[in-house]
Amino acid sequence: MSIITEIIETLKKTPPARLLTFLALTGALFIFPQVVDSPYALHIMILVFLSVIMGGSWNILGGYTGQYSVGHAAYFGSGAYATMMLMQFREIPPWFGMLAGVAAAIAAGLIIGSICFRLRGPYFVLASIAATEIMRLSALNLKDLTNGAEGILATEIPPLSIGSALITDFSTKAPFYYIGLVFALAIIGVTWLVQHSKLGYCFQAIREDQDASHSLGINPGMYKQLSLTISAAFTSLAGSFYAVYIGFIDPTTVLSLDMSVQIVLICIIGGIGTIFGPVVGALVLVPLSEALRSNLITQTLISAGLVSEESPVGQFLKENLAHAHVLIYGILVVVVILFMPEGVLGFLRKRLAERRSKTA
Amino acid sequence: MNTILELRHVSKFFGGLAANSDISFALEKGMIKGLIGPNGAGKTTLFNCMTGYYPPSRGEILFKGTSITGLRPDRVCRLGMARTWQKVRPLVKMTVLDNVMVGALCRVNSLVKAREIAMEQLEVVGMAGKARVIAGGLPIGERKKLEVARVLATKPELLLLDEVMGGLNPAESEEIIRLILEIKSRGITQMVIEHDMKTIMRISDRIVVLNSGEKLAEGAPAEIVANQEVVDAYLGESNA
Repeated sequence: MSIITEIIETLKKTPPARLLTFLALTGALFIFPQVVDSPYALHIMILVFLSVIMGGSWNILGGYTGQYSVGHAAYFGSGAYATMMLMQFREIPPWFGMLAGVAAAIAAGLIIGSICFRLRGPYFVLASIAATEIMRLSALNLKDLTNGAEGILATEIPPLSIGSALITDFSTKAPFYYIGLVFALAIIGVTWLVQHSKLGYCFQAIREDQDASHSLGINPGMYKQLSLTISAAFTSLAGSFYAVYIGFIDPTTVLSLDMSVQIVLICIIGGIGTIFGPVVGALVLVPLSEALRSNLITQTLISAGLVSEESPVGQFLKENLAHAHVLIYGILVVVVILFMPEGVLGFLRKRLAERRSKTA
Repeated sequence: MNTILELRHVSKFFGGLAANSDISFALEKGMIKGLIGPNGAGKTTLFNCMTGYYPPSRGEILFKGTSITGLRPDRVCRLGMARTWQKVRPLVKMTVLDNVMVGALCRVNSLVKAREIAMEQLEVVGMAGKARVIAGGLPIGERKKLEVARVLATKPELLLLDEVMGGLNPAESEEIIRLILEIKSRGITQMVIEHDMKTIMRISDRIVVLNSGEKLAEGAPAEIVANQEVVDAYLGESNA
């Protein structure tokens, strides 16, 4: 009980302006689908929410506890596969599949953690990759269970109803939008709770110096496992959400190294070990990758009159830039990491602090 | 005699090398015991054995009458034996206050209480004014004091200090000496590894001398100074 009163006390101490901004933004996000009708805009927002959940859950383990797992696809895939397998092969609604996914991810986390947490630094990273590869190869080869390389296609999503009242039949994007938003808010809330509790202090102490924290009465093994459990559970939720929303999963997407790296990038680009870092990362990466994929850049250049559509340069860009989106994405990521080692959020904060000290 | 810690025939082998062999001694409550010896004598290894970082290869360690042989470091700390590190280990990205709070959270779950305890300890070491500073930016003298404050926040009954004065200038060392005596006046038992003979003779009630992993001598400072074997170990055997 005292913990709860303490949390309320901490909330009271946060600057009201910041709290109000957060509440206003959240409110605006809840109204957004009523105002904006474009399915494409909703799609982008849903992808942003998905990235926030992915990045936010990695942040608990990687950002706060300092265990750089490059194998979070294992938990993402656990959620995605549990949900889809139960929905397609057993006709169990995704709500229960999602919970099964969380349980599976936590179980996977216990096994992977008990092995990988014996290792530190780069060795932990390698072990986390290896563990996920095992899961990918298993999913690929256990054809009776997972459909192997063919993947699983969702034929129809059972409608959500409470009692006899139909809540939604998932025929539009709006229900996905709200589910994504609620999950994203949940991971932000959990991160806030972690940062403002004993848990956060123990996690960060382990990140800074495992041996020193061990000598101060912290059991690193237990806290690292706890951190992974929280992280895996939310990554699994992201996986379930992705599977139902996209409607198709296979081992090479949801259990791939690409997916693991994607999860890490959201956090690193945004700002590691901060509550809103993953949000910033998602806001930067999702629109960026969408803009590159749909060749918005060439279109903007042409419509701004900088490049003529008929000129050889214009032709070249039109034909090739969209194909090169992965390359450009990669280059931009390198640039951010080189020039903003603390992520976009860290960079902005530093600039703000500098400006403040200049005016003062 | 009021014993808080007892080592019984403790040995630690690394392969064929005996870093500690057959070491026995007892610590009396409230006293300061010096631990000295030439480089490589096994002082830090002994601390690591006592605090659970290495399980001893042989022998037994009793803390407050119960065996703690083979217990993990966090359990040892919770029982009331805490140590500092020869090479200081601040949690560099956290503030000074947060560093000490991590220590305090060993005893309490509430952040508010931990903050209170942490501020008290920072007052003790005279660093309350630096509470909001990021620990990574501190000079060595203050890092050492932070290390002491952090370990005090775990509310130890026995404190193991591993060269807290190493690398400090005379004025800073003097501050640490005052701090050690202050801690003693609070009834906390201490075992101190130090290289500076003048200091160790001044603060210790009793001294244990290690050489090549073995206990060479034990006694009051005056006895140690007069011990020919100890002098030989430090200065080489005289031909006279």
